[in-house]
Amino acid sequence: MIGTAAKRKASNRPFAACLATVAGAYVLLILAMLLADATFTSWADMKEALASREIRYAIKLSFVSSTITAILSVWFAVPIGYLLSRFEFHGKPLVDAILDIPIVLPPMVIGLSLLILFQTPIGRAVEGVIPITYEVPSVILAQFAVACAFAIRTMVVTFDQIDTRPERVALTLGCNPAQAFWHVALPQALRGSLAAGLLAWARALGEFGPILVFSGATRMRTEVLPSTVFLELSVGNIDRAVAVSLIMVTVAVVLLIIGRVLGLQEGRR
Amino acid sequence: MKSITAAALASVLLLALMIVLLLDGNSTSEAGTHLTMYCAAGIQPPIEELRSEYEQRYGVLVEPDYRGSGTLLSAIEVRRQGDLYLAADDSYIELARKHGLVAETFHLATMRPVIAFRQGNPKSITGIADLLRDDVRVGIANPEAAAVGKITRKLLEEAGHWADIQAKVAVTKPTVNSLANDLDIGSIDAAVIWDATANQHEKIDFVRVGLFDKAPRKVTLAVLASSTAPTAAIRFARFVASRDVGREHFEKFGFEAETGDVWEQTPKLLLMGGGMLNKAIDQTVAEFEEREGVRITRIYNGCGILVAQMRTGTQPDAYFSCDTSFLDMVADRFEPGEIISQNRMVILVPKGNPKHILTLQDLTRKGLRVGLAHPEKSALGALAQHMLEKLSLWDRVQKNAVVWSPTGDFLVNQIRTGSLDATIVYRSNAAMVTDYLDIVAISDESAFATQPYAIAQNSKHKQTMRRLLDAILASRSRQRFENLGFEWKVSAGK
Repeated sequence: MIGTAAKRKASNRPFAACLATVAGAYVLLILAMLLADATFTSWADMKEALASREIRYAIKLSFVSSTITAILSVWFAVPIGYLLSRFEFHGKPLVDAILDIPIVLPPMVIGLSLLILFQTPIGRAVEGVIPITYEVPSVILAQFAVACAFAIRTMVVTFDQIDTRPERVALTLGCNPAQAFWHVALPQALRGSLAAGLLAWARALGEFGPILVFSGATRMRTEVLPSTVFLELSVGNIDRAVAVSLIMVTVAVVLLIIGRVLGLQEGRR
Repeated sequence: MKSITAAALASVLLLALMIVLLLDGNSTSEAGTHLTMYCAAGIQPPIEELRSEYEQRYGVLVEPDYRGSGTLLSAIEVRRQGDLYLAADDSYIELARKHGLVAETFHLATMRPVIAFRQGNPKSITGIADLLRDDVRVGIANPEAAAVGKITRKLLEEAGHWADIQAKVAVTKPTVNSLANDLDIGSIDAAVIWDATANQHEKIDFVRVGLFDKAPRKVTLAVLASSTAPTAAIRFARFVASRDVGREHFEKFGFEAETGDVWEQTPKLLLMGGGMLNKAIDQTVAEFEEREGVRITRIYNGCGILVAQMRTGTQPDAYFSCDTSFLDMVADRFEPGEIISQNRMVILVPKGNPKHILTLQDLTRKGLRVGLAHPEKSALGALAQHMLEKLSLWDRVQKNAVVWSPTGDFLVNQIRTGSLDATIVYRSNAAMVTDYLDIVAISDESAFATQPYAIAQNSKHKQTMRRLLDAILASRSRQRFENLGFEWKVSAGK
């Protein structure tokens, strides 16, 4: 809208120029960062990184764990989002606030809290059945703890934007609330669910702080791509750290393109 | 509507696929594996029970060959096959080691030779002199074939009785078991056998004599270098040597059993290592993990941070410290450390040394951007502070410090990005980046750290951690240390 308005009225030009300058500066910063990474590394470094057994494992674990996290997040986020969007109940503001905690907490704190949780008697009992701390399930749990909160936000917005009228009509036509949810609301929320899943996937892929604390960063075991960047940095191997960073940048770009192709935009349906 | 069901189904399928991918290659089952074990005949009773229990539990079949320790060693030397060798006396294991036949060893129990006789001691045998009596028919084990025969001959030779006894021996047997059977039947009156063997026979009593008693022998199980399934072999050896399973079976048959590790099929161990050691040991630890079939979580960090973690309750099985001073802080939790290496401090500058930094004194120059390690979080920082204080340079260098990092490697990253003019790190930190950076040596005598490896007192897997130490002491590992600029400080003979 702003573009067409600016065309019509010349007096808006300086304002548009201001906006363009600000936007340009930020876009430039992002591109400059990526360019700096790219010039710091070389094809040889990238190839060497991709050939390493440890890094290939980290790539696999990153993709698999993020996918599991994304699916679980959607499974949780869809009913929770529907609940928050459609129902009024006692203590709703409190529940709503609690669901935001993972978003505002420093990542390290989430990792530390998970670590402590699994040292309690209940946590230890769970560990007796499935080993979690310092094992692969801890990676997924750490990712899920954060990613799910973001998926829920997306789902709440999604359901908020869906007109409730067809659901009410369905109810009057003899559907029960569950049927109205499944047959009427959910089909309209499909795209939003996909957006929530994609967002959760991206959050999970980038997750680092909680994983470092809760899962350790043992090579060939609980090492995901962000841990690789940290591990390579911590042994002074900055070339490899940058090479792996670029792999992640590539994945992020691909993900954004998929999102745009599917016409998904966070917060908008 | 259909699309929703399809989407829900698709998500379930995708999740299942991902979980399968995770589990893939994660299995540790050795079921169906066959292990060949050369086992000293005298140790047959506990091994028979242990191997059948192991087969039931894990489906691994251990096929034993029970003969005299010496006979077995000859067989191993000729065939150069098989997975495990259990000798009644560790001198055989040492011989095998000299021939390059042995990899890992596990000490299982202690045995001593005794003079055994029939229940009630009808011939009133009380000592070695009685073996020379004309009315006593004596049996001994073949010194070439059986461990007990070899030690009997050695001790009697030293005491000057061998020729006399050999002259009147009624029978020589290839294994200690056949000797015990002869006593049982009554075809001989006395024999020199193991105390554990005598304990296993109801109808046999024995007397301990000083000459034999002062020579306890170590029952030792070795994983053979020829093993084609070393991980399965080591796992079974850990089972046999374990303090909760193996020991019970050994004690049941009258052995004086050792205290091994707690049995776990795949023990999970925690190793804490100073940041500088990451590159030196990680590969070695990973190889060890794979060979042993154990899982070792490694935490590398500044030693001050590691000590703080230990004080808040994290208990590693072993701690490889950057400097002895950072082991001393938690010495009450560990067995005495073994010194492995030394690492010198150096000044690191950008290639070509643009600021002409040649001594520590130069670091006090105004406007210089210096990176230091944090004195409380790391040994590097503490040692650098100590060194600079001694030279009365600390206050002035500190003023130039623009960054305090927990480990030397982070300082190397920072100077590589060009944000520092100089930094004090270990030689090992700089080893991999000499293409981009220059090293300026420090002449001060105190400019080094000493790295000890220590095993936790309350670790349930001390023997495993000791074998990890052996792996760290091996020449391949030493090469890795030296390639990084560490000086090898292991005392000679190791």
